Amino acid sequence: MTALSSLTAPQQPYSYGYLDAHAKRELRRRMLKAIAVPGYQVPYASRELPIARGWGTGGLQVTLALVGPESIVKVIDQGADDSVNAANLRRFIARMSGAATTTDAVAATLLQSRHRIPEERMREGQVLILQVPDPEPLRAVQPDMSKSAQMHADADYGQMWLSLYEQLVRFKQYIQGASYPSLVNGRHIISPSPIPRWDTPKLHLASHLTILSAGREKRIYAVPPYTTVAPLEFSDVPFQVEDQSGRACRTTGVRNRFMNEIPQTDGTSQFELSDSGYAEKLANGIMPASTYYDENGEFYHAGILKPAVRPD
Amino acid sequence: MYIAAKGGEEAIQQSEHLYHLLNGELTIDTVRMIEKSMPYLVDRVMGEGSLYSPELAALAIAQTGGDLYEAVLLLRAYRATQPRLAYAQPIEPGEVLTVRRISAAFKDIPGGQVLGPSLDYSHRLLKLDVLDGTREPQEAFQPAEQPAPPAYPPVAGWLREQGLLAEAKADATQAADIPDVTTENVLFPAPRPHRLQAMARADTGGVLSLGYSIMRGYGLIHPTVNELRLGHAEVTLTHPVTGEKFSAGRVRVSQCEVVSPGGDEKGYAIGFAATLGWNEVKLIAASTLDLDMASQDGDGAKHPAHEEEFVMYHTEPVESSGFCIHFKLPHYVTFASGLDNIRKVIQATYG
Repeated sequence: MTALSSLTAPQQPYSYGYLDAHAKRELRRRMLKAIAVPGYQVPYASRELPIARGWGTGGLQVTLALVGPESIVKVIDQGADDSVNAANLRRFIARMSGAATTTDAVAATLLQSRHRIPEERMREGQVLILQVPDPEPLRAVQPDMSKSAQMHADADYGQMWLSLYEQLVRFKQYIQGASYPSLVNGRHIISPSPIPRWDTPKLHLASHLTILSAGREKRIYAVPPYTTVAPLEFSDVPFQVEDQSGRACRTTGVRNRFMNEIPQTDGTSQFELSDSGYAEKLANGIMPASTYYDENGEFYHAGILKPAVRPD
Repeated sequence: MYIAAKGGEEAIQQSEHLYHLLNGELTIDTVRMIEKSMPYLVDRVMGEGSLYSPELAALAIAQTGGDLYEAVLLLRAYRATQPRLAYAQPIEPGEVLTVRRISAAFKDIPGGQVLGPSLDYSHRLLKLDVLDGTREPQEAFQPAEQPAPPAYPPVAGWLREQGLLAEAKADATQAADIPDVTTENVLFPAPRPHRLQAMARADTGGVLSLGYSIMRGYGLIHPTVNELRLGHAEVTLTHPVTGEKFSAGRVRVSQCEVVSPGGDEKGYAIGFAATLGWNEVKLIAASTLDLDMASQDGDGAKHPAHEEEFVMYHTEPVESSGFCIHFKLPHYVTFASGLDNIRKVIQATYG
């Protein structure tokens, strides 16, 4: 007699990669649509995960739908691999998928990030998954999502330009900080995660695929490889990244990278590299890959970033 | 250290360990005690977790030390991975085994007012004797002179017969085809099932807050509770092989209908809400929101609480609580980005 139990697989408490097959199918279809229409926010159901909403569940769902046993996963938060939330997400992804993990941005096949793009240039075949709290760049001018969806459909971006103009009138410069609104593929304005402006040009004509996912707001959008991403700017007042000049990393001495400012008790500030994986390489004498910004702060696509102009 | 140079993983594991250590031991006795003695708490968590399992809800409450948002998230995360094995038959109000059913619209209603279990008319006095070790006298429950019937006709049916309420349109949609807010993206205006499902699993406090704003004065309506009903409903399934209908068990359900003058062709407009478990305050508030959202769809909304999109987004317990607590996460990169601008503006303006 064959025991019934011998004919069945042992029960697994969770599916591979945690999400069930229906959820994965939906996510993959939404991702394909997002890649097909760069910058367009594709709505999706967004399952609850065993991680609090607003703590990277959008990025996590994308990662779990893409991860395989052969994947090499890097997770960063504010640029740091060892931030507690990044550590927690990495632990969960590895536990549910068996994938290898790394702190090396070059070695990773899937790179999930909150608020940063690494300093080393990402390459073809890599996927950058950005966690997004608010996918809607029009939120400040139109909080109602049904109406903002219509504005995207009509490419009705007049109010965005108006808000930029008002910034110039009031402050003589653009004052949008992170998540600087950018036009993708000449068609859709996106809210780039909230990555700092320093990282925004890295999306432009990038070799890698970027998928942005908001779990709470249930929207996926993408910047496919070699797609134009143009931060909104008037032709006579160019977009500016955060000023990193005069800052040197207190540990490695390196300059012209995005720095964390560390306030000191004497009122001064010290600086350290935000990208901990990159810092780790420098500290261990490992040659990093080419970076987006060179040692003099020049961006690798010449002519993209222009000198500051203040309007009269 | 908050952003540990190394050892972040060890720190978060110890942090979680400490949390549980301070809450007392998690045992099956605790779970059973919560399930047995705190059914309204269990109901609230099951309703917001949109998973009917008193045992799992009690476990979630015990496991989180009673942090309800965390308990709801535990149930939701568990539920999200469970397969759909079958769809139950619709629950007809007239067939619910009703233990409480009241109407504020009429002194008496066909079938009668059934007070059932309620604290409504209790004196809210702490029973301090209990702290002295005095056991409450277990008085025998006095049954009514005549046994109440198990089920009652809906009050709305009487209003319809009187021509005071528009006829309900029969909906022939098969259970498996009903739009499902948990597996589909939600766009606005939302299909009615999405709205009712969202209200059923909404945060009790959030629904109360927005519902109260309408009741109190923002786009004032005075909801009259046409019927509030608590009961036990059969979960009737169809056997996949024989096609026979059978009950898989009973669940505690509650539903509420409020009415207000100003229906279309008929006299009254009706607002409806229902949820798993017994949760009266949530349903009165939710059915009031439903009533006003129904009359104010689109651009005519007078107040955010009249807008379906506003109400549905902002009463989601897992999303609202999760986003709120996410502000504990480090934001120093985005802060630095804003700081760069502020410094430039100060320098340019004030030198």
